Amino acid sequence: MTDTIAIPSRPRAFRPATTEPAVVKWALIALCLAVLTVLLFAPLIAVFDEALRRGWAFALQSLLEPDAQSAIWLTLTVAAIVVPLNAAFGIAAAWAITKFDWRGKAWVITLIDLPFSVSPVVAGLLFVLMFGANSALGAWLVASGFPIVFAVPGIVLATLFITFPFVARELIPVMLEQGRAEEEAALTLGASGWRTFLTVTLPNIRWALLYGVLLCNARAMGEFGAVAVVSGKIRGQTTTMPLMIEMFYNEYLSVAAFTMAALLALLAFVTLTLKTALEWRYADQLAATHRH
Amino acid sequence: MVARPFTLRNPTPMPGWGLSFGIMVTILSIIVLIPMAVLLWRGFIGFGAAEMWEVVNRPRVWSALELSFRAALVASLFNLVFGVILAWVLVRYRFPGKRLIDAAVDLPFALPTAVAGIALTAIYAPNGVLGAPIGEVFGLRVAYTELGIWIALIFVGLPFVVRTVQPVIEEIDRETEEASATLGASRLRTLTHVVLPMLAPAALTGFALALARSVGEYGSVIFIAGNLPNVTEIAPLLIVIRLEEFDYDGAVAIAIAMLAISFTLLLAINLIQIWSRRRMGAV
Amino acid sequence: MNIEIEEIAKEFGTTAALHPVSLTIPSGTLVALLGPSGSGKTTLLRILGGLEFPSAGRVLFDGSDATGLTVQERRAGFVFQSYALFRHMTVFDNIAYGLRARPRKTRPSAPEIARRVTKLLDLIKLPDIGARYPSQLSGGQRQRVALARALAIEPRMLLLDEPFGALDAKVRRELRQGLRDIHDTTGLTTVFVTHDQDEAMELADLVVVMSMGRIEQVGKPEEIRSRPKTPFVREFITA
Repeated sequence: MTDTIAIPSRPRAFRPATTEPAVVKWALIALCLAVLTVLLFAPLIAVFDEALRRGWAFALQSLLEPDAQSAIWLTLTVAAIVVPLNAAFGIAAAWAITKFDWRGKAWVITLIDLPFSVSPVVAGLLFVLMFGANSALGAWLVASGFPIVFAVPGIVLATLFITFPFVARELIPVMLEQGRAEEEAALTLGASGWRTFLTVTLPNIRWALLYGVLLCNARAMGEFGAVAVVSGKIRGQTTTMPLMIEMFYNEYLSVAAFTMAALLALLAFVTLTLKTALEWRYADQLAATHRH
Repeated sequence: MVARPFTLRNPTPMPGWGLSFGIMVTILSIIVLIPMAVLLWRGFIGFGAAEMWEVVNRPRVWSALELSFRAALVASLFNLVFGVILAWVLVRYRFPGKRLIDAAVDLPFALPTAVAGIALTAIYAPNGVLGAPIGEVFGLRVAYTELGIWIALIFVGLPFVVRTVQPVIEEIDRETEEASATLGASRLRTLTHVVLPMLAPAALTGFALALARSVGEYGSVIFIAGNLPNVTEIAPLLIVIRLEEFDYDGAVAIAIAMLAISFTLLLAINLIQIWSRRRMGAV
Repeated sequence: MNIEIEEIAKEFGTTAALHPVSLTIPSGTLVALLGPSGSGKTTLLRILGGLEFPSAGRVLFDGSDATGLTVQERRAGFVFQSYALFRHMTVFDNIAYGLRARPRKTRPSAPEIARRVTKLLDLIKLPDIGARYPSQLSGGQRQRVALARALAIEPRMLLLDEPFGALDAKVRRELRQGLRDIHDTTGLTTVFVTHDQDEAMELADLVVVMSMGRIEQVGKPEEIRSRPKTPFVREFITA
């Protein structure tokens, strides 16, 4: 018995079952581009536009002012202290969590993630409460000449809190995936604990580590709320770059504010470029670990 | 491996237990545990729960708390919807400049909040590039109103949903979509009934992360907000004001109120996630 | 080197992976620890290698108590189930690793290390792969590299955890013969863990049948086949 199937005289364009009609596709793409332009690209362009409103020379000159210079220096110093410390913590915590079995890991991981759920202002408040002149500890510190709040150490502590989870969170999943067998193998071959860590573990986690350090650095340099609370905003002494931006802005020194913002935006670009490059490299590594 | 009860001695031949665990616990205590404990102690014992309630239970504080949470919710809901769409577009479609856009999505992670704050204000101010036309065409003021706060928080929370949903979309087995099509479902039905449920847990996680971030956001918001008490004053700003007045107890009370509300919200979201995972099974 | 296992037991939390077991392994024997999963055979192997601390009991190497020896001091060449090759090092560097890890006094010179590695590559019949990375090798090749790496440290014994597990039948047969050859050449006391009884019977001088953390029977392959001592052995061993 034959059944004839009506075949259209002109075959319709084939669209695979797992895609949307072209119209829908392009509409969605346009929507996304529109929103991103309005939300991301326009502000970025505005930063550079405002910074260069009076020309390059004026903008660069504003960066050479003593207040701007000390802000840049302070930001770099804080980052230089915070990033290595958080990297060391992240490595230690990831090692303890992934190379050993013990109860309570979920609690510890929750605590490590805690700074993400706390407002930066509250983070600053924490350290003002602990070390501010209104507390016994704080009063003693001020009297001994080692003030923490309204001084650089306070900024370091608050920034440490804010950037705390970054390195650990990158390392833990990667180290979990990689397992313990390579370290055990190194031990059976006679390597000491440190040698095993340096020659076997570190090379295996280097991209994840770099990635975490990058994010930590970006946040450390850009932190505003926590530092605003804990630093006292003492011009030229405890003002980081973001605080300086606020100060210039409030004083209607628009070019100075936006130029410094542009500098930090450039830092963000560098961070993003490195981050993307690392994702390509480290995606390779992750794929390789799957093949093992 | 079986989880063992906690011991201080090194439980296995793997080296480094003492050092790694020691560093972890010490720094965790100094940086996170003790400061949080001091905050809670100061609030509940130093000041007292009843006294804290009295501070919080005032119109200005309620306005600030409501504003912070409402704006965070609105922005995060927008990011939930838009984030899923954007993630889909980035994974499934090809178009010129896609790589660039994909990288750009991380901008809010990398850009300092103060930079975002003044940039957004410049654009959406009444005389700004976008603020002016919006004012003329729609009669809306963006900067210095709650609308401006929404935009700032949308900016801040943008990457969270996108980045948690993208890997899930990448892992979707196309055959499930094809199966749906062979069973006669339209593309739209496939998307809403087959694909979206698969994305729901990740999207919800992203939503929770965006919410947590937006509620406490300070730097991106205070420039664009206008900061009028009871109208556009966010809770973190109120904490800062109390501190400048040396009213530490007041600051602590508001901070603890914020933490309590955030904690409840995140708990609720976690419970929803557990429920949805149980219903749909591990996908 | 002969191995004495005296009443070794191991608990993980409240589960007993090994009830007290005792075993004598004469020097130079090729021993199979045979049993289903959960029988404790891998645990016993790891205890021999120093990768787990026993909850009770002693291990003696050539008569002296080795229980307190660290992993590094044991010089037990260990081949892991997943091979655990160092993914970011070449095959050459993998094999040379143990020699380079020695303290300066006992460390061979660089040319000497190169010589030894080359010899080992010849032994495993893969002379040209020194510059390759583990991800570029097949499963069978990786297994052999893992073996060479363990042999490089001039071990006192060789311990292998399911060495032929993830490979297809033809490769397994070749590798089995390879292991037998290496054992005969080096004369090392060798202990390997397997759940495959054909493998155990074909390769080993001595078979240790285990189940649920206990040793069911120890004996030569023909003995186990023809005179099973316990119901478990009877059922597990199909002639």
